[in-house]
Amino acid sequence: MFQFVNTLLIGITAGSIYSLMAISIVLVWRSTRVVNFAAGGLALASSFVGASVLEKTGSFWIALPVAMVAGAAFSAFIEYFFLRPLLKRSGDKGHEIFLPIIATLGLLGVIKAILSFTYGDQIGSIPPPLSDKGFIVSGESIALSPMRVLILGIVLTLMIVLTFVFQRTNLGLSLRAASFAPEISRLSGIRVDLVRTVGWAISGAAGATAGILQTTNGSGSVAPDSFEFILLLIFGFVAAVIGGLESLIGAVVGALTLGVILAIILMYLGSSLVFFAAFVILILVLLLRPNGIIGVKGGRRA
Amino acid sequence: MGAVHSRHITNKHRFIGFVLIGLVVYILSNIADEWKAYQGATVAVFVVAIASVILLTGYSGQISLGHGALLAIGAYAAALTQIYFSAPIWICFIAAVLVTALFGAILGTAAARLSGPYLAGTTLALAVGLPAIANQFSILGGEQGISFDAGWPPLSLGETFTQYKWFLWITTLAALIALWWVQNILRSRYGRTWRAVKTNEVAAEIAGINIGRSKVLAFTVSAGLAGLAGALLATTLNNVSPSAFPLALSFSIATGAVLSGVNTLGGVMIGAVALVAIPEIATSISDRWSGSESVAVLLPDFIVSALLILTVFLAPKGPIEKFRSRHSK
Amino acid sequence: MIRTTRRKFLVTSAVTAVAALSLSVMPAQAISPRSEVGVSSTSIKLGITLPLEGSARYGYNQLPGAMKAYFDYVNANGGVHGRKITLTVKDDGYLPKKAIANTQAFIKANTFAVIGALGTANNKAVAGSVNLGKRGIPSLFVNTGFSGFNNRTTYPTSSTLLPSYIMEAKMMGKYISENYPTKKVCLLYQDDDFGDDALVGFDKTHGNVDFAVKVAYPSLSQGVAGAPDSWVAKFKAGGCEVQIVFGVATATLFTVQAAAKIGYAPKWILGSVGADIPAIDPRTVPYIKDAVSMSFMPSNVDPKDEYVELFKEINTKYNADYKAGAKFTSWQLIGMNTAFVAVQALQAAGKNLTRKSLLAAIDSSGSKFASAGLVPLNYSKTSNVGYNGYWFGTFNSTGDLVPNATFTYTTYTTDSGTGPVVKSTYVRPKMPLKGLPN
Repeated sequence: MFQFVNTLLIGITAGSIYSLMAISIVLVWRSTRVVNFAAGGLALASSFVGASVLEKTGSFWIALPVAMVAGAAFSAFIEYFFLRPLLKRSGDKGHEIFLPIIATLGLLGVIKAILSFTYGDQIGSIPPPLSDKGFIVSGESIALSPMRVLILGIVLTLMIVLTFVFQRTNLGLSLRAASFAPEISRLSGIRVDLVRTVGWAISGAAGATAGILQTTNGSGSVAPDSFEFILLLIFGFVAAVIGGLESLIGAVVGALTLGVILAIILMYLGSSLVFFAAFVILILVLLLRPNGIIGVKGGRRA
Repeated sequence: MGAVHSRHITNKHRFIGFVLIGLVVYILSNIADEWKAYQGATVAVFVVAIASVILLTGYSGQISLGHGALLAIGAYAAALTQIYFSAPIWICFIAAVLVTALFGAILGTAAARLSGPYLAGTTLALAVGLPAIANQFSILGGEQGISFDAGWPPLSLGETFTQYKWFLWITTLAALIALWWVQNILRSRYGRTWRAVKTNEVAAEIAGINIGRSKVLAFTVSAGLAGLAGALLATTLNNVSPSAFPLALSFSIATGAVLSGVNTLGGVMIGAVALVAIPEIATSISDRWSGSESVAVLLPDFIVSALLILTVFLAPKGPIEKFRSRHSK
Repeated sequence: MIRTTRRKFLVTSAVTAVAALSLSVMPAQAISPRSEVGVSSTSIKLGITLPLEGSARYGYNQLPGAMKAYFDYVNANGGVHGRKITLTVKDDGYLPKKAIANTQAFIKANTFAVIGALGTANNKAVAGSVNLGKRGIPSLFVNTGFSGFNNRTTYPTSSTLLPSYIMEAKMMGKYISENYPTKKVCLLYQDDDFGDDALVGFDKTHGNVDFAVKVAYPSLSQGVAGAPDSWVAKFKAGGCEVQIVFGVATATLFTVQAAAKIGYAPKWILGSVGADIPAIDPRTVPYIKDAVSMSFMPSNVDPKDEYVELFKEINTKYNADYKAGAKFTSWQLIGMNTAFVAVQALQAAGKNLTRKSLLAAIDSSGSKFASAGLVPLNYSKTSNVGYNGYWFGTFNSTGDLVPNATFTYTTYTTDSGTGPVVKSTYVRPKMPLKGLPN
């Protein structure tokens, strides 16, 4: 029982980090109908920014927001200079989603190469700002530490802020309108292009947070060719698809489901099955609900 | 579209074209050294793999980011057929095609219900998950894999006939036969159905096309091709291991498809040659201008990625279509 | 191959038209070379493939720099029989497929021999695919302890330098039975030939260790969030007191970090492959002072070892990767020593250097080569095994493995079969003058 509770805690922590990456992917999908593989590279680049700021200032609390701003800036840059012209050319044709995917894949490769050229063999270091020693419950150390509480806190806070922005502000209304009905939005005076860039920027900030938290929760260091970040991207994307790609809540539910099930498999079935398990979970969910757990049934098809 | 041109070209012309390509490869194989022959064989492998993606994405409108997994199935099927039935190599190839096509039919049945990004996610997860389970089964040989031996070239071809030249012959012949078959399918009733579904699902449905069945069939044929590509890859490597099918392979194949032009089979050589030639070019560049180890390691990836972005921007329909549209103006 | 004749017929009949034409351009390989491939009167071309990128690169990526540094030192002092040695380095990211392509590229570039190729799976894949043995191309001192490479029939042109993983596991068994006979011992191992060899070494007829908990991990799973947590949780739940880690450096790192998080503090025994944790980043590695590991080389911080002293000097002067003030690592020591042994082999092969004469020289005089190792080399006509033993030590406060405060080593030797683990009486011969074999 004790081990099972620990397994759940490990899964929830991993899942909450995946959820940020999933949110990052959902936000871009909602605003521009692009599956953004560059998100992994942006998270990586922002984490390097965070690591440098941390080295200069010594404060995690300065490094995190700076990395988020950097992530937002990188992401907006990519939207403005690459994706916008690309989508203009292909004229928003529904079924042509293959090319943008491949373009973001190319961007991912370019970002990683630039980071490798710049940092070479150096490693960005982001040690946990709080203790990552587990709390002691009835004499036993559990898989929940002040650091992990902080991770859950940051994820929860971001969720609340984003939900508030989307549900209660004008910006949120424009974001939703621009993604669901760009033409009508344009006619009713919403600056759709600008709103889309903002969507990408928020996505970049979420991705940066995912990158920083992933690093502190993992080995505490980040390398330009980090396989952990590729896994973060893949599991984040899988979580977003499970959740239905359209909703933030869906992304979080998908990520937590994935995180917890994978943790259970790791603990009780062994490490070999974990990647295949992700595929099985995904296909089972999609067979039952082809548009994800919280997908819009028969809604927008891409 | 290519249809305008194909009116002038009969099947007989095409057959002559294929034979000519075979002849060129034959002549080149006698000039090339072992390394070039090996690279030539790799090009043939990529041609089949990229054709498989183009067929699925360009003609049937479905997306796969996980073709590496299908190649893996084909490669393991071929190797197991050889190990357990001591079958000759061409039986192994057929086994690879059939087993992978069967798997493709099952996967395609699930895939037919999914729209673009959901299918992208599913195939991506498959590409990451499937090769990894090879570790679970001792019959699949774990991390270092199992061997697949196309055999040494028959002695009657002469003492100087090298192993890689032999691989080049095998892979090229298989690739030519496969492409011949594919282009026939594409111009058959099925090919037209796929294009109709891709262009407008609703209209196709009204016209009486069973959309689900059409999509599953496309997935099956594409998987069979991918299985052949996997078996050919195993031939060039003499070995089948999980590491031969990393996510990067799936991405490479998708990349090759975009470089070739996703919507037409005509440019399939371009992507395949680019994927093989770019690392070579990058190495010579870094040798000449920097000599730095890290540059040599990073440059190929960088060039492929940059080229990919450029292609998406400048020739989104592929170099062939770009060329055609310029000349038909 | 029943159908080959028929296929041959099909293919050839389709191309008879140009057959005659192509005969005029028969491959140049048909003419046998006058001198050996990769050797001229002034140069010898060697190649190495190993991970420089990817998660397995830590530590290993320091090997080529050190090897090149020693070769440059030898070149600056006249080379080997007047020939300068060049080493081409290629990255394989620890992927067998890339190792195969790299080896093929070496052959294409007329490389004389491959040296220090790294990784069990990679070397097996290369052997099976490129078949260096059949081509007579030497693959010297492969950087893996997989015992299979000691099979001379399968790998006629390969030799190993590291003791096998079976030997390593047997020695750990001995160490545990002497130091922790009553403790609960647990094992984390990599799920491939590397780990399987260890399992053989630990079994009843070899090292004889009973494990309370055994966890296998495939090398890709290390980076999955929560994976190391789950390994450690299992060990902790099993009440483990002594923890063996038989994996690569990243696996060791992740395990130790995850253990710190849930307060799992066993006695750590780290396999030689994954022990060099400081190679990653001392700032973020939780401290594991007093963890036990083993080595066949002198400690890289040994103040009185003549080899360490000289290699350190050469490293500072010749290693292109060297940054002022950086410390001399155990990886650089190993790389330097590999190059040092290789130079002796090339020297012993004589003025008329050929691939055959090189392999013969290792067989006939390899056991007499000088080396920094504290256990003997075991090359002979029937054996391509290098070192066959280890000493045990602990990590000190700077993260370096030391035998004890006075740097006195107690070495043990054994074999990859069921032979006993015995205390070694080997006394290392004096280093050749200036570390230049002649």
